[in-house]
Amino acid sequence: MARIINVAAAMLLLGVGVPAAAHHSFAIFEHSKTLTLKGTVRSFQWTNPHGYIDLEVANGPPGIDRYTLELTSINMLRRAGWKSSDVNVGDEVTAIVAPLMNGQQGGLLLELKMADGRTLVPPVPAINTFKRTE
Amino acid sequence: MQALDRRVALAVVAAATFAVGGAAAAQSAAPPDLTGSWERYRGPAGDATNPPPESQPPLKPKLLAEWQARRVAEREADARGEPLATNYTHCIPDGVPSMMSGPFPFEIVQSASQVNIAQEAYSQVRRIYLGKPQLTLADIELGFYGRSVGAWRGDALVVDTIGIKDYVRFRDVPHTPEMRITERFRLVRPDILWDEITIEDPEMLEKPWTVTFAYRRMPDYEIIEYVCEDNREYADEEGATRLRLLERPEGP
Repeated sequence: MARIINVAAAMLLLGVGVPAAAHHSFAIFEHSKTLTLKGTVRSFQWTNPHGYIDLEVANGPPGIDRYTLELTSINMLRRAGWKSSDVNVGDEVTAIVAPLMNGQQGGLLLELKMADGRTLVPPVPAINTFKRTE
Repeated sequence: MQALDRRVALAVVAAATFAVGGAAAAQSAAPPDLTGSWERYRGPAGDATNPPPESQPPLKPKLLAEWQARRVAEREADARGEPLATNYTHCIPDGVPSMMSGPFPFEIVQSASQVNIAQEAYSQVRRIYLGKPQLTLADIELGFYGRSVGAWRGDALVVDTIGIKDYVRFRDVPHTPEMRITERFRLVRPDILWDEITIEDPEMLEKPWTVTFAYRRMPDYEIIEYVCEDNREYADEEGATRLRLLERPEGP
């Protein structure tokens, strides 16, 4: 459970009061609703400036059969305890995402539940500003 | 010719100033050791190591109005979910002085003749030459980090930087090639470092603009490599940020 990231600690690490958008705006993603998607990992792209996970979504909401999850910078993931080996092709996962505002099949990953019980949380700056609705 | 004369005059003043600073440093005790990893930090409210809040750039009125209008346009674009693309969208690094603003850590490596600052984000490196005179703008190609010379003045490392490219902007503030950046690095506590950054650009700014950042040491932290390898966020034809949904092709 060491990989469950304490959001408050992650924010402290960043330095409270540092403008979150100094590097990057997350304004392409909804701040007022979330989606919970079950799927199979097709790829885990461990790159900067963002990591990405591509999912095949089974029994998702209408119109969603695959989904691109954007993560923070992999350096921030590393500092928060993530490894590139944490997520593998074929893993069955449940993702809580802030969807793209334009309705396309992509969103910002807020939380990833793994089949083995791990919960992985990317250190998204100001993560509490994303209102959870499902 | 007038502009060139002014540049030469500024350079002569800077060279003389730093030559004096260098001589003073040679006579004093060993300078503080800033070597190590650092990250932006703000202590609890009321902490004496918290620098003053960042002020709005003292741009001349017309420029300030344009700058404020861009902030409004940014907020409106954000509200539409179509944030305006920035240098970061195109994997373009911050340069000086934005690379000092965080949120990623940086590493200082200090010797008697040089101080290097390696910013983790985008693997940016700036080199500060100690005891060397500043060059004139005519001898510098404008770039992201410009040319920096420094000298120890008491317990502060004072750094002079010129030669920053037009679109390498701090807080999106426009500047001329003549912009001059003076930084004072000093330890306000053994593990808290301040960088007091003063930007002078008389054609654009009503007065010098000072912004101070505080950092805390990250003992034993090793900087992680950062290559801006594949941003799936991109700018569309209108300059709005979009997300590419296609997976990355195999191979390099």
